[in-house]
Amino acid sequence: MSEVEETLKRIQGHRGVIGTIVVNMEGIPIRTTLDNSTTVQYAGLITQLTSKARSTVRDIDPQNDLTFLRIRSKKHEIMVAPENEYLLIVIQNPDAV
Amino acid sequence: MFSDQTSECVSFPSSWKRERSLANSGCQTGDLITEEVAVQSRKYRDQKVQTDEEKDKGFRLADDRSGNLAEFLARVEPYLSKCLNKNLRSHAFDEYNVVWDEDNASVSCIRKLENAQFEGQLQITGLSWNSTGAVIAAAYGRYDHEDWCTHKTALCTWNLERRTIDENKPDTILELSCCLMCVAFHPTNPAVIAGGNFDGAVLLWDLSKEDDMLLATSETGEDSHQEPVSKVIWVPDTTTSKKNKFLLMSVSGDGKMLVWKYDRKTKKFELNNGFILMSSSLPKELKKTRNMRGDKEVGVTSVSFNCENKESFIVGSEPGALFKCSMNAHGEPAGSHVVSSVPLRSPVTFTYNPHYGPVYSAEFSPFHRNAFLTSAMDQTIRLYTMLQKPPVLTIEPGEGFVFSAKWSPVRPTLLAATTETGYLLIYDLKGDQTVPVLKLEASTKKLPVYTCQFNMNQPQLLATGDGSGTIHVFRLSEDLKSAQAREMDILNNLVDIAVEQ
Repeated sequence: MSEVEETLKRIQGHRGVIGTIVVNMEGIPIRTTLDNSTTVQYAGLITQLTSKARSTVRDIDPQNDLTFLRIRSKKHEIMVAPENEYLLIVIQNPDAV
Repeated sequence: MFSDQTSECVSFPSSWKRERSLANSGCQTGDLITEEVAVQSRKYRDQKVQTDEEKDKGFRLADDRSGNLAEFLARVEPYLSKCLNKNLRSHAFDEYNVVWDEDNASVSCIRKLENAQFEGQLQITGLSWNSTGAVIAAAYGRYDHEDWCTHKTALCTWNLERRTIDENKPDTILELSCCLMCVAFHPTNPAVIAGGNFDGAVLLWDLSKEDDMLLATSETGEDSHQEPVSKVIWVPDTTTSKKNKFLLMSVSGDGKMLVWKYDRKTKKFELNNGFILMSSSLPKELKKTRNMRGDKEVGVTSVSFNCENKESFIVGSEPGALFKCSMNAHGEPAGSHVVSSVPLRSPVTFTYNPHYGPVYSAEFSPFHRNAFLTSAMDQTIRLYTMLQKPPVLTIEPGEGFVFSAKWSPVRPTLLAATTETGYLLIYDLKGDQTVPVLKLEASTKKLPVYTCQFNMNQPQLLATGDGSGTIHVFRLSEDLKSAQAREMDILNNLVDIAVEQ
């Protein structure tokens, strides 16, 4: 197993993690642990939201930049680690027993 | 004297004939226009068309072209792992709820339904929402009979989703010549409803029928109940492999728990199975004080089935005892004085610490397989676990008899109770368990509130029925209708940890 797969497996192994998606800079998924339609939906929407969030941060202060994005919802917490080439999206249910 | 004489001719014109007058005239039709047209029926031809089956667009993961993925992941993993672990331990968002919808922070009574015809003389003995959650049915009757029941009562239904709803006049009224003690809508068919009478008969109606809505009745013979029916409940039919088949269970003051099967062909109730509660099952302390013989029947007041194990149920009784029962139990058979066409036996497998008065309601939690809730004449609400005799929690509202106690269908720790003094009490086991989070007047005349029922389809609705025959429909606030984080843990802790101690 490659290093990439191992890392993804470790992340997926955390308690309550529902899915892990890696998206490239065009918003196209590269790796996923979710089913196809869910992956496409998350990849498309989260990529848009992340670029919007990033431009917001940079518009307010051009010297600043987005480093991490977390979205808390009733059911989940979505964590997004952005970089210029990739986006790592992890969906977690923090109330998982 | 006589002589020949020739007289001249006399003539006179005819008075009835007249000379005919003649005139000439001509007539001519217009030219007849004729035209020739040819007609011909069409020829048809069949042609088949078929689109090509569209192949699944083929979801493909893109290839990683830059090759820096491993580095990227190695960089973000430590921080992400830290976040993931922190999230699980964090209580930052506990109790935090965003209210997106406006105007739902308070609980309000949205409807007061009543059958004006009865002029407040009858009480609501039972309520039931149908399977779509749109229709509410109320059983009208009285609890205080001194002799024969001669009341003219009815089963009344209102459709809350109808635009022209008349709060004083039900949509359907099914008149009865005897008090109706309980009702229960079918779990899947929104038009079918069952009820139990004061005279011991079990009835089944189909509200979608035009004229005679009564489908079947158990009659009042030896096979039926000899005392008022206290509850009817639909239970899944475990004898067939078909899904969504239900049997009707009725429990009564004569100790019988009868399981009825409705036969579509004969349109009759068949007695499918039966149990009986005998005084030999009572716990010692109740036997002693009442000096009862072992072969007397004990009145059953309430019944509820387990949310997971469909064979397991609990019953509450008139002396206050609570029993764990099983459909498969082979307990003692009924005494010889009990006549029935199916063998009746005791279903009891375990006995809990009894209430000090008749049990009014008993209900299993829809979320926890061991937890159940009871209320009784001894003014207490109790939370039991199936696994131990003493209750896990006892709540004493101090508002007189507690006529009903119900679990919320959406929030594992929420329960509602109705009291003799006319209140609807809502408790949340999450906070202070003995103080209600809400205390609402559910009867305008401070009369006892006999029943309450949550709506399974619309969890914001809760209906109560009082002693003057009025139904109050409440709309619950946002925090009472939607489940919150970690509620299941709290219920688990409450019920399971109590057992370990």
